[in-house]
Parts: sequence; C-alpha cells; structure tokens
Amino acid sequence: MPIKSYLAHPHEGKKSELVQALTSISSCEVIPAENNDLLIVITETTNNTEDNILKEKIEAIESLKLLAMVSGFDTPIK
Amino acid sequence: MYTSLTNRREFLKKMAIMSAMTAAATMFPGILFAEEQEKNLPKGGNLDWKKAPCRFCGVGCGVLVGIDNGKAVAVKGDPKSPVNKGLCCVKGYHSVMSIYGKDRLTKPLVKKNGKFVETSMKEALDLIASKMKETISDYGKDAVSIYGSGQWTIPDGYVASKLFKGCIGTNNVEANARLCMASAVTGFMTSFGIDEPMGCYEDIDHADVFVLWGNNMAEMHPVLFSRLLDQRLKRGVKIIDFATRTTRTSMAADKSIIFQPQTDLAVANAICYEIINNGWVNKAFVEKHCNFKKGLTNMGYGLEDKYNFNDKPEGITFEDFKTFLQDYTPEKVEKVSGVSAKDIKYMASYYGDPNKKVMSLWCMGMNQHTRGTWINNLVYNIHLLTGKISEPGNSPFSLTGQPSACGTVREVGTLTHKLPHGVVTNKEHREFAAKIWDVPAENIPAKPSYHTVEMFRALDRGDIRFMWIQVTNPMVTMPKLKRYRDACEKEGRFIVVSDIYPTPTTDIADVILPSAMWIEREGMYGNSERRTQYFEQMIQPSGEAMSDTWQIVEVAKRLGYEKQFYYNEATHIEEIYNEYRRHHEGNKHAMAPLEVLKAEPGAQWPYVNGKSTKWRFNAEYDPACSNGEQFHFYGNKDGKAVIWQRPYEPAPETPDDDYPFWLCTGRVVEHWHTGSMTRRIPVLHKAMPHAYVELNPEQAKEMQIRTGDQVKLTTRRGEIILPASVNERGVPERNQVFVPFFDENMLINDVTLDAFCPISKQPDYKKCAVKIEKV
Amino acid sequence: MKRIGIISLFLILFLAFVTVWNVSYLEGREEAYIPVDNEQPMTLIPSEIGVFERSKFALDYANMPVDENHQRSLETYYDNRAFHGAPPSIPHPVASDRGMGEDICLKCHQNGGFVDKFDAYAPVTPHPEMVNCRQCHVAQVSESLFEETNFHKIKAPEVGINNALDGSPPIIPHQIQMHENCLACHAGPAAPKEIRVTHPERVNCRQCHVSNNKEVRDIGEFKRLSNYDD
Repeated sequence: MPIKSYLAHPHEGKKSELVQALTSISSCEVIPAENNDLLIVITETTNNTEDNILKEKIEAIESLKLLAMVSGFDTPIK
Repeated sequence: MYTSLTNRREFLKKMAIMSAMTAAATMFPGILFAEEQEKNLPKGGNLDWKKAPCRFCGVGCGVLVGIDNGKAVAVKGDPKSPVNKGLCCVKGYHSVMSIYGKDRLTKPLVKKNGKFVETSMKEALDLIASKMKETISDYGKDAVSIYGSGQWTIPDGYVASKLFKGCIGTNNVEANARLCMASAVTGFMTSFGIDEPMGCYEDIDHADVFVLWGNNMAEMHPVLFSRLLDQRLKRGVKIIDFATRTTRTSMAADKSIIFQPQTDLAVANAICYEIINNGWVNKAFVEKHCNFKKGLTNMGYGLEDKYNFNDKPEGITFEDFKTFLQDYTPEKVEKVSGVSAKDIKYMASYYGDPNKKVMSLWCMGMNQHTRGTWINNLVYNIHLLTGKISEPGNSPFSLTGQPSACGTVREVGTLTHKLPHGVVTNKEHREFAAKIWDVPAENIPAKPSYHTVEMFRALDRGDIRFMWIQVTNPMVTMPKLKRYRDACEKEGRFIVVSDIYPTPTTDIADVILPSAMWIEREGMYGNSERRTQYFEQMIQPSGEAMSDTWQIVEVAKRLGYEKQFYYNEATHIEEIYNEYRRHHEGNKHAMAPLEVLKAEPGAQWPYVNGKSTKWRFNAEYDPACSNGEQFHFYGNKDGKAVIWQRPYEPAPETPDDDYPFWLCTGRVVEHWHTGSMTRRIPVLHKAMPHAYVELNPEQAKEMQIRTGDQVKLTTRRGEIILPASVNERGVPERNQVFVPFFDENMLINDVTLDAFCPISKQPDYKKCAVKIEKV
Repeated sequence: MKRIGIISLFLILFLAFVTVWNVSYLEGREEAYIPVDNEQPMTLIPSEIGVFERSKFALDYANMPVDENHQRSLETYYDNRAFHGAPPSIPHPVASDRGMGEDICLKCHQNGGFVDKFDAYAPVTPHPEMVNCRQCHVAQVSESLFEETNFHKIKAPEVGINNALDGSPPIIPHQIQMHENCLACHAGPAAPKEIRVTHPERVNCRQCHVSNNKEVRDIGEFKRLSNYDD
C-alpha cells in the first residue's frame, strides 16, 4: 500500500487549476501552500501498478510544471 | 486489526506530509500551509468537517464547519475555496455560535390580545393559508405580498416566486435586496443589458490599481480586502480609497481621497473628461463595442406615494458626449466635490494608463444613492472608454452585502418586475416561466406592482393587507421607519414573520414561524462573482423550526397548488434546483448541475461544457460570445455596451441652517446587517455592544462633546439620542456624522429619509440633513 | 405713639431686610451647586490609529528566520512590568538622561534589531509618535526597596485560552489603547515566542481578532428591550 508525498509546482498563474485537477483524483490529497506557488500532494494507492498509473495520470495534468517526490512509504502485506 | 491499520496509514500519511513540508520550507522559507494552522484544533477530536458557504455577507467565503455529536462547534476557512483561500473574518469564524442563542425561536407563536401564544406548526400554517385565502377573496390577489431578502437560499426564493407570481398571480414579491443592490442591477441592465459582474475575484490577482468607490472594504468585505493587501505586499499594487469619511480602509490605502456626499457623480464625469481630453480613449474598443446614450434628467426622488418614473433613452454621438463633459473639467468639479483637481487627474491617470490594469470596487456607497443607477453607469463609462473591462485585472466590480443577493434575488428574480428568466413585462418570458411552473401563462400579471418602499406604503394605505416577511428585518432597515412600523400595526393588516430570533419585525407580527437556519437545512447561495455554492443539512433544526422553503411549500399545498408543489420532503431541494436550472438553460446563464456544486467549492455561471466562466463578454473565456470579435456584449441586442450621459444632480435633502449636518449610516466589521444573528455571538457583542454617532473631532471639540456623551440627532422625521464617538472607528469630515444601523435599541432609521433612485427604487441611506445637539 | 411707629417701621424694614437677604443668599447657594449626574459607564471602541503602521514590514516579518537562542518568552515578559498593561521599566543603562525619544530610545526601539551589548533583540515600540519616553518608562537603577509593598501583582492573560471556539481566532485579551499597532509586539525577533503571530502577512489583524472591550466592566450578552416570555 504505497503512500507517497510530492511537491508539485504549477505553471505560473495555474495554481488553482492544478488544485482542482488534483482534488478530482480520489486517491490524491492536496495541501496548497498559502503564500507560494507550491502544493503538497499525498497519494495513497493499494498496489504498485495502481501507483504507477496514478503517477502517469498526475504527470499528464496540463497545469503541472514539475512534480518532485519527497518521500514514500509502503505497508508490508500481512 | 482494521483500526490499527488505519492508524498506521494515518501515521504514514502524516510522516509523508511532514517530510514534504520540511522540504518545501527549505526551498521557500516562511511558506505556510493551511494544515499547519489546523494543528491547534482539538487533538483526537472526532470533528467532522463539512463544507458550506459562509452565512453572512455576499463575498461567499467557503467555510468548513466542525460537527461534534450533532452540534456545530467550530469553523475554519476552506483552503480549497478560490474565494477566501482558507481565511475568514471574525464573523465567519464565529458564525456557528449564532445558531445557539438562548432566545432562539423554536415554536410558532400567534398574537392573541397583544400577547404571543405558542401553537403547533400545523395550526400556524393552517392559519396563514386561511388568512391568505380570506384576504384574496375580500381584497383581491394584489392585497397579499411576500417580502424576503438576499439571505433567502435559491430554493426559498424560487418557491416564493412560483407561488406568488405563478400560482396566486400577483407580482407582490420583493426582497430586502431592493434596499441593498437594486442600483447595481439597473446599472448592469442599462449599460450591458444583462445583470451581474463580468469579472470575478481573480481580477484581484491581476490588477495593478484598485479604486474603492465609497466602500469601506476593510470592514465590510474584509476577506477580499486582505486579498488586496496581500497583492500589495507581493506586487506593490496601489489602493486608492475614494470616500466621504476616513475609515480603516483609508488608513490601509496608499491614498485616501475625500469627496463631499453626492459629488461622486461629478468626479466620475471629470475622470471621463480627463480621459478624453488627454487622448486616453481606447478608440478601437469604443467604436466596435460601445454606443452613446442619454436619458431623462431631473427625475425627482420618489418621496411622494405612487411616484412613477420611466427613463426614455436616446442615442447621442461621441461629440455630444464630449460637449456634455465640458461642464466637468477637474477645475470646475473641484469646487462642488471638494476633491482637488490634482487628485482627480491622479485617479484619471491610472484609468488612462494603458499599461495599468484597474479594478473599481463598490457596494452601498454607490448603490444606496438617489442617483445610484447613474453612478453605476458612470463608473462603467470610465472602464468602457478605456476598454478596461472583461479582462483579467481590468474590472468594474459591484460587491454585494448578502449571501445570496445575486443567487436568489437577482438570478431567481424575487423582485416585482423579474422572473427567473427575464421580466414580467415580456410576453415570451412570462410564457416560458409559466410552462416550467405548470401554470397558465395568463396567471402572471404583465405589470410590475410595488417595489419595496412602495410595498410598505401600500400596506400603510391599505392596498396591501397581508404580508409574509422571511429572513429579513425591515423594522430595523426601512428608511423613515416610523411610518412603516405604524403601518404594520394598523387594524386589518396581517403580518407573518419567519425568523430565527425575536426582532423588532417579529414584534409587529401576527404569526411568527420559527425558521431552520443555514446548516440546519439544505440549500444554495450565489455570491457576488456569479458563484453558486451548495450546503448540506449538517445539524437538526432547533425545536420545531422549519426551512423557509418548506414553510412556503406547506402553505402552497394548503392553498390548493399540490400539482405545482409536488416536491417530496426528503428530496425537495434537489427537485427544486433541477426545476430552477431549466429557466437558465443556454450559454448565457446555464447553472452548474447539483453534483458539481456538491463536489466543488461552488461553480460560476454560465457553466457550459463542464466549465465555469470567469470573464464574461470576452471570447477567450465566455462561450456565449458569438460575434467573432474579442468582446461581445451580448446582453444588448446590437452586442454593444452603452456609455451613458448622466449629469451631477444634488441630493434631495442637503444640510441647511436648521439641519446643518449630513447623516450617513452604515455597518461595522463585527455585526452583519441588523445584528439579529451576530449580536447573539458573545465575542462580537462584546467587541461592539451598541451603536454610536461618529463626529468630526475638531467640531466635537467646538461643541464640547466627548466620546460617550449623549448626543441628540434631529431630522425632519424625528429624533434619536446616541452616545458620541470621537476619533474611534471612523472619522467623518466637518458637518458630517456617521451612525451604524445594526442596533435595534437605537433605531437610526427612524430618522432617515425614504428618497430613492427613480430607476432602481433603492433608497439612499447615506444622505439626509440632521441637527446635532449635546444633551 | 410716634416712637412706637418709628420703632415698628424700622423693625419691619429690618425683618424685610433679613428675609430678602436670606432668600437671595439661599438662591446664590443654589446656583453655585452643579448637580452631579450619574455618568453611565461607557464602552469605548478602540481607536484605529496606527493599525497598519508596521504593515509594510509584514513580508519581512514573515520571511524572518527565528533566532531561537535569543527569543523572548512570556515567562519573563512581565518581570519589568508592575502589572499587565503597565509601562515596562527600562532594564538596561540608558545613554543619556536628557533628550527626547527620537535621538535616544527610538534609535533602537523604533524598528528593533540585535544589540550585541545586551545580547538581545530590542523590542519595537507600538507608539513611536510619543517621544517623551521617560515620562512613563523609567530606568531600574537600584534593586533595593525603600519599604516593602503589599501590592498584589495580578496574573496576565494567558495564551491559548482566548478562543470562543476550537480553532477560532483568539480575541484580544488586553487593552488596545496605545497598542493599536499589533505587529510591533506580535511579530519580529523581539516578540515573545508564545505571542508571535504565525501569519504576519495578514495585516488587517482586526478582521479576525476583536477586542473584548472590558474597559470598565464586563459587557455581558445582548439583551433585547422586549421579550415574549412574560
């Protein structure tokens, strides 16, 4: 169950579009910075394939300039 | 275990967030996340956060309401809302406390021998329906009326209009918004042929200069004002406060320019003169997209009963307009307005500079004006002449004061002349509405009946016998209040009041219905930037309180309109909204589907192809533009906006030897409207416990009046005693005083004047003559 | 008879004089008396002057790193104040006993900054327009007392308990008179860490934080003039 956090940089002036686009993805949680053009994105998926698909989906968003992964965790399968 | 798994996942998520925040902080020192501000919220508490638009003003901030055990216990700004981006004002943060006032109305009350007696909801509704039937059979259908406000949710206003206009067949539907933004509506209608701002709040992020026309934004629209201040810190934008009194906004502004009451008309014309005289006119824009017109002048002020006025617009040429402006050179206007020619030229230079994006903002200062429609037109003139309109950052923006003044009153059309789509005077519009309402088209009268002031005058005369007042407090807000209070108490008048607390309006009621408030029910509001926002029912209504929508539906059924009011109690809000959307189909006004409103922090109409429209009339953003040009003012048949020739005319009552001061009324940041909700919030009451009269410090000294002294204000309508306030919240000019109107124990409207703008019928609460004495 | 007549005439004149004098004396006394009205306690709304005074530095405040080794704390903040709201005494030697604020005190206390000599940041005054500093702020020259005092130092308002709701902006628990400029004390390196604002860039402070206005006595709750219960 991978949980990952990213820093997402929007294209100039497209922050709100990016927030909207990311919020509409159900396995994504978004925390926009109040005073900078930067978002924190937390993803939570059930397995690695789903995670890869999600990442591709996020990277396809037009208003996104740069996506940088900060940390990742995985819950071991019991 | 399932719980431990979620806990572990929660923990991992927190870790992930923390590391991302740390990384962000190394890149941008001082970066702030809403999440961090939430860290002080009750730890481990089971708060459920649900989204709603704020209950109070027309800004329409997104709030998240914390629910604990069926009670609303906390509020925070919704960081995802593009309106307020996580910030609220003091009223918003404490808004849920206004649900829990001790004297909340929880049972219907009926007046018997001058005393209120408790009754059941069923009996109260039966009584209202039978009284309505009786009045209609005795005096005709135009003897019953409903008076609501911009606090009506969209479904409230919609069923009110459907019942009165469609089913009963009277245009006696009005709303407090007539006292609040009718001039903004007529301003839009005359200049653009279609209501509501072309721009949106995002203009704030693009504009370089902000001109506030008689608008104390720091107190009245604080959340938007903090967006202005934010832009100034980031981008060094300029804020110009153009007002009659020194306020918190003036202190924050880069420049404060003071003008004499009513002379904003002259100054706006002088700015146009400067623009033309200096060759700053955007000729290509004006030729392609604008017409010039003039209307009647010396219209009067509506002080007499049954006053009527119809403007006769006439086309003029650019040369005529130029000649007209010869009377408005900055030097000439300096003499009337008290604004130096230098300051007029200073403002004009910003409007004229093609490299500066300018946003004009206004609210009650321009709307509560006996020439309110004109001054709205004049500010549009400035933006049209320079082509600074309908583009990000170039925006004349009319703000509203009530949460759904736009959503309900303007869009649903709860005014005597309006229908949800169009006006009653238009046959096609009537037929269109009647079809959706499932009533014969002949039901809807073609003639508007009474606007608000005239409606209360009709009640006084006896032309109206029954009035149902919902979500508003006219016995505090009507100008020249005493006449209208006496009218309500006359024999043979039946007044129903739906409210949540006892107010001076419930005092004069024959039946009081307890209403479910805000998040005790389901509904939608529409804010100033055409954004419709949905809220679900989050808590149970207090006692037997019932939503205003369902009160009307229940009465409609009792009047025999089951067919039209077919709604199911569990799903009626959804059914009503879906029915309402049909009125607005098409590219110019389409409303977003309910699912969208539920999922997102609101959507801006026209909502076309799954997208909100941020800037109307601009082909780049607005799907309704169809003329192949960059701009299309499709509200008017020829696709052009109108530049109006509107002169300066004096106010109806100006200070003289007997009454030497101007009296201006208004609001304070702590209280909303008449304070019936905010005064029940201890934090706000303690911060602003009562009204006062602000005096000019120099003059107060001459009159030996100090803060706290009792001062008597006398106008031709009566007198009132208030404590003086010198050098506190605001500082008026010499020979001017200011009084906030929220205090029901010090009713300033007993002495104000009921003169109104002949076009919009909106009264002017900002100007009348008053005498000041120390007692 | 004639004598009695004269005597009684004088007697009448004398009595008349006494009466007239008495009446006029009493009237004179009455006029000199000015009735004392029971003045109603009035609530003051804090003045707006200076609210935005330091807002031009707001972004600097927001971006300023925190110097944890030199930050002040509320634990010691009230040590040089006789009570909460009293003007603080000057805890350091002063440069000159003559001269007004602008040449002496304001050099450091107008905008603050780190002072090597005292190994501390200078607090910023919320009222730089009042330049006769030493009228209220006196130096601590001696540690000893003339006589002991029984003065009871009340506790200052605490931090973190002034919110009406969980997470709602705290009200202002102190008087605002002469402290209208919030950022002077609530931002920057000299602000005590407990009351340092997390969001100095939002400069319209009183948009969210209102005063509880306890100038004279508690205001209590809103009361209508009429109610329906009786």
